[in-house]
Amino acid sequence: MSRRRDTLMSPKMRDLIITTFLSVFLGLAVSGLMMLFLGADPLSVYGRLLQFLVRDKYTFADIFVKATPLVFTALAFAFTFKANLYNIGAQGQFYMGSVAAVFISLFLGGIVPGPIALLLALAAATVCGGLWGMMVGYVKARFQANDFLVSMMSVFIALALMNYLLRTVLIEAKREYPQTDPILHDLYIPIIASGTRLHAGFLLAVTVAVLCWIFLYKTTIGYRIRVVGMNPVAAKFAGIDAGKIFVIAFLISGALAGMAGFTEINGVQHMLVQGFNPTIGAEGIGIAILANANPIGIIFGAILFGALKVGGQILGQTSGIPSSIIEIMEGFVMLFVLISYYFRRRIEIRREIRKLKSEAAQ
Amino acid sequence: MTNLMSRAILMSTPLLIGATAEVFAERAGVMIIAIEGIFLIGAWGGFVGAFTTGSSFMGFLLASFLGVIIAALYGLITVKLKQHQIVAGTAINIFIAGIVTFFHRVLFGVPLLPLTIEPFKTMPVPLLSKIPIAGPILFSQSLLTYVAYIAAPLGFFILFKTSAGLVIRSTGENPESVDVAGIDVERVRLIVILIAGFMGGIAGSFYSIVYLGMYTSGIIGGRGWIAFAICFLGNWNPLGAMVGALIFGIAEALAIYMQSSGGGILPNELLIAMPYILTIVLTISRKRFNVPTKLGTPYIKEH
Repeated sequence: MSRRRDTLMSPKMRDLIITTFLSVFLGLAVSGLMMLFLGADPLSVYGRLLQFLVRDKYTFADIFVKATPLVFTALAFAFTFKANLYNIGAQGQFYMGSVAAVFISLFLGGIVPGPIALLLALAAATVCGGLWGMMVGYVKARFQANDFLVSMMSVFIALALMNYLLRTVLIEAKREYPQTDPILHDLYIPIIASGTRLHAGFLLAVTVAVLCWIFLYKTTIGYRIRVVGMNPVAAKFAGIDAGKIFVIAFLISGALAGMAGFTEINGVQHMLVQGFNPTIGAEGIGIAILANANPIGIIFGAILFGALKVGGQILGQTSGIPSSIIEIMEGFVMLFVLISYYFRRRIEIRREIRKLKSEAAQ
Repeated sequence: MTNLMSRAILMSTPLLIGATAEVFAERAGVMIIAIEGIFLIGAWGGFVGAFTTGSSFMGFLLASFLGVIIAALYGLITVKLKQHQIVAGTAINIFIAGIVTFFHRVLFGVPLLPLTIEPFKTMPVPLLSKIPIAGPILFSQSLLTYVAYIAAPLGFFILFKTSAGLVIRSTGENPESVDVAGIDVERVRLIVILIAGFMGGIAGSFYSIVYLGMYTSGIIGGRGWIAFAICFLGNWNPLGAMVGALIFGIAEALAIYMQSSGGGILPNELLIAMPYILTIVLTISRKRFNVPTKLGTPYIKEH
């Protein structure tokens, strides 16, 4: 009987799903308690939040609009995480991607046919984000620099660089605010559901996530990346050049974050505004943690965070609950997920022991 | 020039406190990735304490208290539950950013004017502050600066010349030996984390109480990460951290000075990015590091 259930879903997978759902639930419940400080009734707030989310097509579709860049930044973190590397600089790579996308869109718009310019913008964002990320991998491989530290610092440098460009080369024609002119209409990413803001970038995100999964789990290079992460000594004996893996992993990771710049510029903002989306890098890390760094899980994690973002915005506008409640929810969910890692490991060990005992008894 | 150096020492203060805290924790094998968040909650707690009671001392008290609470949470997840430090620290940093913004709103609503507190007064040392040049630079600072510059050499002494320091260093290098000696590895790590939380909270409160006299959400802006970097660059030594903190203090004072004097030929943004560029350059150029062997690794006792 139990054997049959095991073939349907491994106990490990089942534990993962149950504990993750439990952590999300607990995270939202504890955040609800925080609302009591504002004298709000958490149950009715959550009720209203759910109602709002499905109120109309536009709002519901916005969940996926918000989820799109988060899929990319979460993949960016997960990709290096698998190689036991830490790219916590997705925010900066995202900014570099955005700058590249808006640059191409502004200067090629109207000169090159729309679809081609759009593809060029995507390519530019990917390459720029990738190169910005690759620098981290390079200094790690070449100088044994700490990737965590360098990628963190590269965010602040990218931000300064973006602000500089927005003040000088890219500034709008009116020269009033640090933002660019809007890009042309034929450079918008096509909308896939009429009457909403949902653009094809979401489909791109899902496709890229699936490709990441295939790359990591079904190709030689993906296997090497994971081996370097799991057991660097074994990787060395197997003749895997760790330095090369560092550079490749960071190149791809940065490229993924750069794509978020493309979907945000050409899909949502249609211009580059100073300091936009300042938290998607950190949220990406949170989602990757939530999804156990699994590319497919990341899609669902990003949709959850997208829903929280949309819901939080509406709450902020309609019921006087500050939208920072969202960051608290995200924070609590992440903390509970971390704690669930610990308990899942204990459950697993206990199951192994039980299995060994029953085998010994036979 | 005197003014610039005086400002450099002022700005190096929180970085030195934070980096010294980080050195202690990392010597025991724990990276305090949550340091950015601890700085932030310290800055906020410092403001709230000082604003509501009118006393800077209460500000420091609340800041250090909140720092310890967050450090305890971090210690629970990383040491007791043996979770990944970078992941746990990042989660806590996001969490704190939300908590602080939320409760700031709960406590103060949306004020029309920025809320300010009485700036913390400088405390010139009698006699010494009268020395030409060195007096105004070194001895006309705030109390926190003196504390920081006493704490670092003291930290060096504790870490390298006392038995407690030996235990801390062994916990980071060879926890098994500490365990065999009958000392609880996890307890050593937790204590060091709590001390680091205390110091980190105080360091954060510098920005609200001593430097700005107010609280804004971007008040820390990566300074916690710079303290974290200084610990690396100072080779896990409080005296090295002192040199590092001074370098960054000078960079920051220089940036402020050049911004206020119109910037000259260099763009403002380059000056703002300077400390971060400097970190990368220094990380690359330092060849030999004294990394504690078990840095970042949870201790799992074998039965």
